[in-house]
Amino acid sequence: MDLLAQVFVNGILLGGLYAIMALGLALVWGVLNIVNLAHGAFIMLGAYLSWYLFKYLGIDPFLGLPITAIVMFGAGYAVQRGMLNLIVRAPMFNTLLVTFGLEVVLTYLAQLAFSADFRTINPSYAGSNIAIGPVVVPIVRLAAFGVAIVLAVIMWLFLLRTRLGRAIRATAQNLVAARLYGVEPRHLYATTFGIGIGLAGVAGGLYGTVSQINPYIGATLTAKCFAIAIIGGLENPLGVIVGGLVLGIIESLAILYIGATFGDVASFGVLVLVLIVRPSGLLGRTA
Amino acid sequence: MNSAIRIAIALLAVVVLAALPWFGSDVIVQFGISTLLLAVLAQGWNIIGGYTGYPSFGNSTFFGLGAYGVAVAMVQWNMPFWVGMVFGAAMAVCFAILLGLPVLRLKGHYFAIATLALAQVVAAIVSNIPLFGQNIGLVLPPLNNDAMFYELSLALLLMATLTVWWLTRSRFGFGLIAIRENEEGAAVMGVNTTLYKVMAFALSGLFSSLAGGIQAYWITFLDPASAFDISLNVKMIIMAVFGGPGTVLGPIVGAVVLSAVSEVLSSEVTNAAGLFFGIVVVAAVVLMPRGLADIVHHFRKSGWRYFVQNIRAHRI
Amino acid sequence: MSAILEIVHVTRRFAGLVAVNDVSFALNEGEILGVIGPNGAGKTTLVGLISGTLPPSSGDIVFKGRSVTSLPAFRRARLGIGRTFQIMRPFPGLSVLDNVAVGALFGYGRGTSDLEEARQKARRNLEFVGLSRFADHLADELGGPGRKRLELAKALAMEPKLLLCDEVMAGLNHVEIDEVIGIIRKVRDLGITILVIEHVIKAIKSLSDRLLVIHHGEKIADGIPDAVLSDKTVVEAYLGKRQA
Ligand SMILES: Nc1ncnc2c1ncn2[C@@H]1O[C@H](COP(=O)(O)OP(=O)(O)O)[C@@H](O)[C@H]1O
Ligand SMILES: [Mg+2]
Repeated sequence: MDLLAQVFVNGILLGGLYAIMALGLALVWGVLNIVNLAHGAFIMLGAYLSWYLFKYLGIDPFLGLPITAIVMFGAGYAVQRGMLNLIVRAPMFNTLLVTFGLEVVLTYLAQLAFSADFRTINPSYAGSNIAIGPVVVPIVRLAAFGVAIVLAVIMWLFLLRTRLGRAIRATAQNLVAARLYGVEPRHLYATTFGIGIGLAGVAGGLYGTVSQINPYIGATLTAKCFAIAIIGGLENPLGVIVGGLVLGIIESLAILYIGATFGDVASFGVLVLVLIVRPSGLLGRTA
Repeated sequence: MNSAIRIAIALLAVVVLAALPWFGSDVIVQFGISTLLLAVLAQGWNIIGGYTGYPSFGNSTFFGLGAYGVAVAMVQWNMPFWVGMVFGAAMAVCFAILLGLPVLRLKGHYFAIATLALAQVVAAIVSNIPLFGQNIGLVLPPLNNDAMFYELSLALLLMATLTVWWLTRSRFGFGLIAIRENEEGAAVMGVNTTLYKVMAFALSGLFSSLAGGIQAYWITFLDPASAFDISLNVKMIIMAVFGGPGTVLGPIVGAVVLSAVSEVLSSEVTNAAGLFFGIVVVAAVVLMPRGLADIVHHFRKSGWRYFVQNIRAHRI
Repeated sequence: MSAILEIVHVTRRFAGLVAVNDVSFALNEGEILGVIGPNGAGKTTLVGLISGTLPPSSGDIVFKGRSVTSLPAFRRARLGIGRTFQIMRPFPGLSVLDNVAVGALFGYGRGTSDLEEARQKARRNLEFVGLSRFADHLADELGGPGRKRLELAKALAMEPKLLLCDEVMAGLNHVEIDEVIGIIRKVRDLGITILVIEHVIKAIKSLSDRLLVIHHGEKIADGIPDAVLSDKTVVEAYLGKRQA
């Protein structure tokens, strides 16, 4: 029973991190209708940025997150403005291919710049735990979880309450709706993509504190983000949190009860099932 | 007259290609085999992705099942190669029918992602089945006859291409195109959309699995990571889309051009080959979103302005 | 005259909204039935229910004496039900000719399997609706009026026994409307039963043998055009609102 409780806690903590990873992907997909295959690569870049800030400037990985977020936002803004805006109205396949090409380029550049070695962001408190009864909670994971939840709530409020947020949501319904809010569509697109990539950067920074990073982690992370976005639906950041938690728990349970190699199978299996039963996501609107 | 000339040129091209092992070097023949197999994959994808409009990311699964069909039959059961080909193809077609039924109800990105996830699930399951050699893989009996593999691959590509050509002039093919262009519109005109989509998926799977079978015997080693490599799926899509999806020759041209480019790159700029490949893909999609086939039609008319027009048409 | 189509207590709900509410009527063989009603009355939904693109929530649809309620759209097409779409959806990447040829390759009784024969037939249908000039254009290149005719040609190529026309005259000018009315009359002369949905009262009045009025998903009148159009409820529900 203790074991099961521990697995659940692990799953939930992992799930919070997953949620923040998928949040940006879901936003970009839902609003811009771009399925960004390079999302995981941006998470990877965010992780390295955080690692550099920590290693060479001594900036705590959690305090460095705003810097990572801002830098990655700029990168995302530039990519959308300079490249993806050119193909927004092309057939869906072309956006898939362009973002795939981007993934290849980013992974390659990362390998060149950072080498293929594994890295970890290791602040002094990395090994500390708190014990709640029989369950052990690693501090770093708990903090990462907390940041993820806070960010998701901020995103939710931002989309619901601010003018820019409303313009972004309106754009999800209708390409030119941005104009009604007095925002230039090209700028709005780039901003939305920038926010998505900024979130990916933060997710990367958090990921680096709980896991090892190397230039090749991107593709798997992208696949997981898909699973989460689909389970949670694209409409609501809070749905994505639920998606992340569901996936985190399922993976932890599958690893415990079926075997380590089945963690991914379980998550993709769930993804396929959800798609077949409810194409708009577990929590999404029914068609 | 015109079509007679075309047929003559096509026949001549096939004869020249078939004669390649007699005058080409070993390296050329090996390049030929891998390019032909990639072209078969691109052509197979063309049936479900290009003609039917369902962007499958699961075709690498068919490839893997075909490869394992041959490997299991030859290594575990001591059967001849062709039995393995039939076994692998049968597995792929069953897979296409059983999973196609639920998955082909999904549209667009959702279909793409469901097939992508299915590919991962199958890979993970296969790597846990003892008969399939688990994670260690299977070693096939070696056969040092590249000429044979070359001719086999060429024959397979020919078969796949003739099938696609038949699509452009048959009721079945028109049904698929109608589904791609407007599925509801196709249904009210009497197209059995479910049946047609599943058949297209199975046909696509058939060719991909046969390519996988040849590849397994040629490489003589098979493990789950190489058999179910997702990036292979991305490659075939890129080749088909680069050449022109939904055209008879586009995917072949795409496969040949991109194979040659990446061959040259990896010998000239060894390290940066991947980088350049990524850049080529991005540039190609931005500048010519409808593939090389479309350029042939429009470049003469508008010249370099063709590229600018493409960007104008698709940007915001 | 025998009924080719019977709609029996058919209801269709969309999340909290009843788009078609307990509607019953019959359509006689060779008849032209006009269906009118304000925007959002449920006319397009009705066409979807008959053609099989939408399943009904309850009720029965009987075509040529046989219940087709549980049949998918393609089977109903093969039995002889053809429709046009109000929001015109050609196959944009195909030529106008091949758009129509699809109808001949499938459609009633599965059509022909010979592509050349299908194209021949498609040419005749294009001539019938006056689109021959555009045969080799992409369907995407047609303007609004052209697309309306293309919708008709596609449906006709299926050799339907029953043709459902969803606002094929909307957005056309007077001359064009008269031409389309001519085409529909010619279709009827081929022995095809027709259900026309229209907003243009004058056009539908002269065209229809019988008129059905739908309002808020309910049938509020059914009879010969003159009687229906002077009916008090109809005037209030529909005409009154238009004149106001
Ligand atoms: N797919 C749908 N989902 C939800 N509501 C729908 C759908 N299709 C139609 N409706 C609603 O049903 C009602 C009837 O629509 P429709 O049949 O298109 O009317 P008409 O063709 O008479 O203008 C409208 O209120 C419309 O909003
Ligand atoms: Mg309508």
